[in-house]
Amino acid sequence: MNDFSELEAELKAMRPAAPSATLLARVERELAERATATQTAGVLPRRRESRVNWFGLGLGLAAAAAFLLLARMKVDQPVQTHPPVIAAASAAPQSMDVVPRTLVPDGVTRVVYNTSDEGLVYPESSAEPVRRVRSRSRETLQWKDPGTGASLRVSYPTEEVEFIPISGQ
Amino acid sequence: MENVATHEDWRVCFAEAAPGLVLFARQFVRSIADAEDIVQEAFVKFWRKQHPIENRALLFATVRSTALDLLRRDVRRARREASAYAAAEHSVAPPEFDAITESQQALAAAVDQLPAEQREVLVMKIWNELTFADIGTVLSISQNTAASRYRYALAALKKNLISHE
Repeated sequence: MNDFSELEAELKAMRPAAPSATLLARVERELAERATATQTAGVLPRRRESRVNWFGLGLGLAAAAAFLLLARMKVDQPVQTHPPVIAAASAAPQSMDVVPRTLVPDGVTRVVYNTSDEGLVYPESSAEPVRRVRSRSRETLQWKDPGTGASLRVSYPTEEVEFIPISGQ
Repeated sequence: MENVATHEDWRVCFAEAAPGLVLFARQFVRSIADAEDIVQEAFVKFWRKQHPIENRALLFATVRSTALDLLRRDVRRARREASAYAAAEHSVAPPEFDAITESQQALAAAVDQLPAEQREVLVMKIWNELTFADIGTVLSISQNTAASRYRYALAALKKNLISHE
């Protein structure tokens, strides 16, 4: 028993007014209509929605493609050789094309540097409150030319927003 | 978890919960009509997701989210309601109660003077009989914080009533 038991009893004796007569009818009608319209409503499994910053990803991939193209163009250009004097009588300069120069994927890293819980939201597409978690990260793709040891690295920022259904209990 | 509640179960559930839900929704909007619209929308959402019918914390969280979403959707309305919500700290239209006596009117007026965060806890606890754990879930606060707000509300009510005696 606490000091407020009497006050709590007084409060509980006050009953909230009944809502308008039409509210019950409106809800009942809507439940009936929707039940016939969507037989599977509500039984679909909850899914964890994830939205990737496609713009950032596309920009990064475009930049990677541009780098690769530039690297390829430089490789394809004839090499202006300046043979040293002592090599004047040696064989003709070897074309760069005969040396296999291929960049192969060497690694992918993703560093999440910031995660923020933005609290509960109620998206239009969902009938339940979800928790919005935003994470910012930097992805780095790396290629390496095994022949020359040259490497190419492309890094770009990404932002991901996750909507996580909350559990009621 | 599969929900096996029948249509009749949902109808009865709503009929029983509606007065408390509307009272709770009125903590966000001053109009009874708006509060009823919020409750209707929230309950249908809750039903469509086929949440366990006994999960009252989620039902109240749905009502709260729907109310806040409504306030955000309409800027003009949001401004009006936000100012009303802020003003509610000091003066609001009393919540409606059935067969209210003179002493209960004084008590209802004292409830209206409570800070909004205490009042919504009080409404969920007293008139909807949610546990502090449930209230914590609805408000995304700890159970202890919910219990503290409840105690502060009761203390404030008691002080208010004593000062008017």
